[in-house]
Amino acid sequence: MRTITLAVAFALTTITLGAQQAGPPQVTNQDILNGLKDPAKWLTYGGTYDGQRHSPLTQITPANVQQLVPQWTFQTGQLGAFQSTPIVIDGVLYVTGVNNNAWAIDARSGRQIWRYRRELPEGMILCCGPVNRGFAVLGDRLYMSTLDAHLVALDMKTGTELFDVAMDDYKQGYSATVAPLVVKDKVILGVAGAEYGIRGFIEAHDAATGKRIWRFYTVAGPGETGGNTWPRTDAYKRGGGSIWVTGTYDPEQNLVFFGTGNPGPDYFSANREGDNLFTASVVALDADTGTLKWHYQFTPHDVHDWDSTQVPVLGEIPIEGQNRKVVMFANRNGFYYTIDRVTGKLIVAKPFVETTWAKEISYLTGRPILLPDNHPNELGVRTCPDLGGGTNFMAPSYDPNLKLFFVTARETCATYFAYDQKFEIGVSWTGGGTVRPREQRNWGALRAIDPITAERKWEFRYPTVSSSGVLSTASGLVFAGDGEGNVIALDSRTGKSLWHYQLGFPVRNTGGTTYMLDGRQYLLVPSGATLTAFALPR
Amino acid sequence: MTRMRLIALCTLVVSLSAVGFAQDPPGPKRSDTLPPGKNPHLGRADSIKSGQVLFQTRCADCHGLDARGYRGPDLTAVLGGMPDERLFQTIRKGVPGSDMQPNNMTDDDVLLIMAYLRNMNKATVTETASGNAENGRKVFASQCATCHRAGDSGGRLGPDLSRIGSARSRDALTREIRTPSEWMAPGYESVTIVTNDGQKIRGVKKNEDTFSIQIMDARERLQGYMKSDVQQVVFEKASLMPEYGKERLNDSDLNDLIGYLRTLRGSSTR
Repeated sequence: MRTITLAVAFALTTITLGAQQAGPPQVTNQDILNGLKDPAKWLTYGGTYDGQRHSPLTQITPANVQQLVPQWTFQTGQLGAFQSTPIVIDGVLYVTGVNNNAWAIDARSGRQIWRYRRELPEGMILCCGPVNRGFAVLGDRLYMSTLDAHLVALDMKTGTELFDVAMDDYKQGYSATVAPLVVKDKVILGVAGAEYGIRGFIEAHDAATGKRIWRFYTVAGPGETGGNTWPRTDAYKRGGGSIWVTGTYDPEQNLVFFGTGNPGPDYFSANREGDNLFTASVVALDADTGTLKWHYQFTPHDVHDWDSTQVPVLGEIPIEGQNRKVVMFANRNGFYYTIDRVTGKLIVAKPFVETTWAKEISYLTGRPILLPDNHPNELGVRTCPDLGGGTNFMAPSYDPNLKLFFVTARETCATYFAYDQKFEIGVSWTGGGTVRPREQRNWGALRAIDPITAERKWEFRYPTVSSSGVLSTASGLVFAGDGEGNVIALDSRTGKSLWHYQLGFPVRNTGGTTYMLDGRQYLLVPSGATLTAFALPR
Repeated sequence: MTRMRLIALCTLVVSLSAVGFAQDPPGPKRSDTLPPGKNPHLGRADSIKSGQVLFQTRCADCHGLDARGYRGPDLTAVLGGMPDERLFQTIRKGVPGSDMQPNNMTDDDVLLIMAYLRNMNKATVTETASGNAENGRKVFASQCATCHRAGDSGGRLGPDLSRIGSARSRDALTREIRTPSEWMAPGYESVTIVTNDGQKIRGVKKNEDTFSIQIMDARERLQGYMKSDVQQVVFEKASLMPEYGKERLNDSDLNDLIGYLRTLRGSSTR
């Protein structure tokens, strides 16, 4: 009898322990490499390492998209708008919000599972609101940059902190808003703060411990490669070069690509003569070591606050009979570029909005051929585009089947002023500003660009400027938003509008994502303080 | 008759620079009140120039490059009677209830801007009230009140002018009465909706997105339309307000009208 009792007890214990045993890590490196092949997942900022934001899903089509209906809405209950791209893992969303709040949400119902709140210090120095652009994920961990320039890791199951490491001193103007990029066993991210005299950098941390592995300065110092593009002063120490948009990764070359921010101060440049490398550039770095493989500077010696913090979208396109590995880049300076991603050499570049500062981009040197009278001064100089740029940090998408690059374009100009502003810690150090004439009509559009020729294929106009990111799908749809709160589905071949829904707040500096759940394709759209999920009727 | 909204704004640069300052940053002083003593920059050419640059980069996006108003008030009109203490605090603390936010400029930068504004304002501070306000009230009642409110009465198709006289210079008011199509303020841009049966509905645009438009028609009815449900939406270049040239409003009546507007200090119900 005793033997039987013990045996039953052992069996029960085994069953209980079995239930308590954690499963394998939810997200492996291979899962991230697979990108959107698993339709139940969206694991990186751009969905895939190449940043294409192009989903293979085909349940929602141009023929049925008009039937899309909201399924649920999640509200943060906080002031401030999402700029985040939610991570999707097997029916659960992981999303970050303002002031480094974060949530796990049931993707079926929109109900909260857990919530994370970060205690932020007093005295943070932020140029552009307490925003965040999302998690990275590996194993059972979520990674988030913080407004006080830290990297934190959270337990995906509970939202509790696993580590918290400082990147730099927030009291000196450093902050962080970028969604990190996980590559192998590293978490790669950078800092913001170019308007407050920081020296920008990209760095990699050990995903297990948080320990920093490498750092690449986006502002070259004396003796370093590119150091001679700064004066022989300490200007480089406050040279800007923020990183606030997630980069992309090429596993074959083991290179990460990041767009870098403007030099500081933004408009007054007499004290930073030279090209100011590696600001306003795309840099290709070895993912293991942070070593610079190549760089391409879009705006040498930028004086218009034209960060190149756009997504460097990777793809392969046929050029003169050869399949070329490229970076596609619609820049804030108003030019669209296709660049060879092996060599960093320019393939083609043309304006995609009205530009008045450069005649063209030289194919010989890769540099802009400047037009006169565009350097800001005390009297003011009118230049197109405005400081917001031809586009900005809203992510574009790329349809590899149609070979079309979709980007939100802004048609705006501004009068730029510059003056010699004394640097002071904690004070916005732009050395100037801009004014837009009241008579000027600013407007926007979603544009489809052929990356082979850099020519526009179609556009869909908005009455005002938009800051919406873009999502495309293999069924021939593009999802974007206007500046007034509509999420819009367009035919990706023609740009014809097929469906729209007024969300009440614009899709601003983020975009939609899509995933499968229970056999249904969901479209998830962040706008304002809400997430709204759409699907076709059952 | 003019289309200036009475919203005090300052530049995005200023408002954004205020973000995140829960405590005073180190460095030069940032006082809540006017520093004691005379403004050391007053009347100094170099200071005035520096103040102008600061104004242009920090304030002009809302108040206009010439400070004569854009989205924010015409400062040449409002500063004449404003003491330094109030001007300093307005720049420092912003205007509650408006889009003009507090900022963390140094005291010296604020004083530089004040020196520039005071210098620029010299010409207009001497602008004394003139015109027969009583006749101006009659002109307003007969020519303007159908579309504009003044105090507690009048129309709503055009902007409420109850405070416009204290926010705009005489020159600005004159320009906007004589040539109202030069610029139409947001919310008062002229639009014509052509319905599918050919009917034309004129009004002012209140709002718009890619697919819809909201208007107040000439009978003050608020209406919304889906653009796909109408034949055409025409954004008119001419304001709904007619041009009040000299043949329509002689100089004397115009002077009286402005004199009347300058007596107004808002609605009694607000």
